[in-house]
Amino acid sequence: MADARTIPYQCASCNAVLISPVACDACHTLSERAPDLDHFGLLGIERWFQIDERALKQRYLALARSTHPDAFGGASDRLRELSVRLSAQVNEAYRVLRDPVLRAGYLLELAGGPSAAADRTVPPELLGSVMLIREELEEAKSAGDTVTIGRIRDDVRAERAATLDQIASLADAIDTVGPEQQQRIRALINSMKYYDNLLTETAVLSPES
Amino acid sequence: MGRIDDIIVGIDLGTTNSLVAHSETAGPRVIIDPGVDDGGVLPSVVAIDPMSGRATVGREARAHAVEQPLTTIHSIKRLMGRGFAQLAEGVQQLPYRVVQRSSGGGKGARRDPRSSGPGLRDLAVVAIGQREYTPPEISAMILNELKHRAEKHFGHAIRKAVITVPAYFDDAQRQATRDAGLIAGLDVVRIVNEPTAAALAYGLDRRDDATVAVYDLGGGTFDISILRLTGGVFEVLSTHGDTQLGGDDFDRQIIGLATREIRELFGLDIDSPATRQSLWNFAEAVKMQLSNEQQASLQIDLGSGRVYERVVTRAEFEAMIAPFIDRTLDSCRQALKASGLKSGDVEQVITVGGSTRIPYVRQRVGELFGRRPYTALNPEQVVALGAAVQASILAGVRRDVLLLDVTPLSLGIETLGGAMGKLITANTKIPCQATETFTTFQDGQTAVKINVLQGERELVADCRSLGEFELRGVPPMPAGLPLVDVTFLIDQNGILNVSARERRSSQEAGIQIVPAHGLTRDEVRRMQIEAVEHAREDMSAHRLIDLRNQVEFDTHKAEQSLQRFGDLIEADERAAILREMKALRQFATASSDANAIHERLQKFGEMTLPLAQAAIGATLRETAK
Repeated sequence: MADARTIPYQCASCNAVLISPVACDACHTLSERAPDLDHFGLLGIERWFQIDERALKQRYLALARSTHPDAFGGASDRLRELSVRLSAQVNEAYRVLRDPVLRAGYLLELAGGPSAAADRTVPPELLGSVMLIREELEEAKSAGDTVTIGRIRDDVRAERAATLDQIASLADAIDTVGPEQQQRIRALINSMKYYDNLLTETAVLSPES
Repeated sequence: MGRIDDIIVGIDLGTTNSLVAHSETAGPRVIIDPGVDDGGVLPSVVAIDPMSGRATVGREARAHAVEQPLTTIHSIKRLMGRGFAQLAEGVQQLPYRVVQRSSGGGKGARRDPRSSGPGLRDLAVVAIGQREYTPPEISAMILNELKHRAEKHFGHAIRKAVITVPAYFDDAQRQATRDAGLIAGLDVVRIVNEPTAAALAYGLDRRDDATVAVYDLGGGTFDISILRLTGGVFEVLSTHGDTQLGGDDFDRQIIGLATREIRELFGLDIDSPATRQSLWNFAEAVKMQLSNEQQASLQIDLGSGRVYERVVTRAEFEAMIAPFIDRTLDSCRQALKASGLKSGDVEQVITVGGSTRIPYVRQRVGELFGRRPYTALNPEQVVALGAAVQASILAGVRRDVLLLDVTPLSLGIETLGGAMGKLITANTKIPCQATETFTTFQDGQTAVKINVLQGERELVADCRSLGEFELRGVPPMPAGLPLVDVTFLIDQNGILNVSARERRSSQEAGIQIVPAHGLTRDEVRRMQIEAVEHAREDMSAHRLIDLRNQVEFDTHKAEQSLQRFGDLIEADERAAILREMKALRQFATASSDANAIHERLQKFGEMTLPLAQAAIGATLRETAK
């Protein structure tokens, strides 16, 4: 999984190897992003859930450097305006791809699956278990029982990690599965927000140093 | 535009002090006015003569602050991009007069007056004599002084600048800063966050990879930024702060103590505009002394033999400022949380800003991060030096450094029911953008109004409105059919740019923006012109003074010649010269028409020519003897 599956781009005018089709450092120029170029393509990596995070960050930083408006201080108005827009797109691509939950959701939408706005369902067993955890948390809170709060936090973390593993195991086959399976992936992704909210609450009640 | 060979200066436009710096091959340097021994530090104080409107900036202005409290403006940065309603509290303690200007917002500026809603513009302005000055105009006077200082140094005009702002400045405060630059005739090529600039100045890129916290406590603002440095990349992970917290607040605590005790002891209420400035001076002196000594004494002569004397101990001062320091440390914790780090992960802490000279501040910051703050550079100069480094990056001189900053506040729009719908969350890397689709609610509707907000709270009323954005030129269609994609783009300066396009017609929609606490483009343009005219007026004022001196000199010379050689010319010529001499003197004093005085002075020269010739002849004869 540490294998960085990258897309080999080349500059049309100088033949230099590029990270992204939108920027060539050798020519010190930028090109408009093609409408069908997704976040993966923009950062020059293949569309895949498993990602080498270090390689992703390196590519992001290199591309951020070649598109940032500060590098075009003396350039034409057109180029400066383009650099602002491209930088924003590069930042957005990195924000989505670096986060496994956002990345999975993005892959799902690319595969034609439901967006979070279109489908808010969660796995049927989740709501019951969240309610139980909440009750337990309330009790521990009024009793000032930080040991229990700490245990609940560990439990939630473990469940979150297990769910993320499930998402990961399904995400790379996202292109080949039917609508039913896509809905299931969406429900799993949606459940992450519930775990995150619970973790925020436990953090407020008993801050870790 | 954008010629690379233009010099770009770096400016720290501070609450208390401002500086200008530039990058040399040896590194960044603060530009020092050789005539003044101030280490390049210009007090951010402007004195305005209510009669002529003439402004004095810096030390001289501050020196007269006590005698002229109503016309001497300090801490203007606190008013930048702010509404009067938001300021009401702090404003009461300023010696000068701050009023609300809500009129003059241009077309469509008036609407039903809701307190925080869009459409109603609320601008805090300074009233001096009959005139109102907006905060950007006052700031422009400070920038102008720095610009002159740089021009004197380089011997040619300066047109471009990088200006720093607190990281926690919102869009309105950033726009106001840029407007101030424009009014001062400066193209503000970049707005940089102060803590980020400080990190640049420290040249931390030359070290190994590190996680750094920059704690910046100035005269009126506080910032904390957490940065990750890797191979020349300055990546801001998170930032937090308070744009209304700084050393000014500490002064105010001491002032509060003195006024309270004087009221108790002598039954005197000394808090008036006239005394406020001297109280500020006393408080500042006490504060500074306490940074070096364990106690400081305060003595105020109240007249009629009444003297208020008080010893303030360091412990007492620390107790007074502790609540403020607590607030800054809360901000630090918030920033840490947002960066996903713990205080122990921070490998280096840098303290910036004059207020970090206070030992108690350094102590508390050190305790939080578990390490002693690093303070190698002068905390007053470091931000300006960083701005100069950024200027050299923009000029293409330095290509090894990359600055990746974040937006300090979430950006959103008002949704149904007065909720804030977030489009961009705080600490997102900039530039960044978000697109939202709007539609119409009535058949044939051609305009849509959007209330754009910044803040972290759920309700519109608890966030700051950036103003009302009105989409125009939506093609008339049945309700709900037009789809207008509005793109909110926050650029590298942290400033919002909005564009709109109707999806069906793919027509660019026009957007009119009425800033809630800012100036419209037309107003900025007008102020630019006024500033240029003012400079021209200043020039003609100089010419008038020069001409009057010339009249004085020429008539005096003619008078002397008349006494010695008057009998060498005709009697009627003598009489005419005497008459014109008197008339010219009167005319030059009474008239301010420089051209008319010049003309009459020349005629006087022609008239006295025979006398001058006679005088020369006589002198020649004398020497020939």
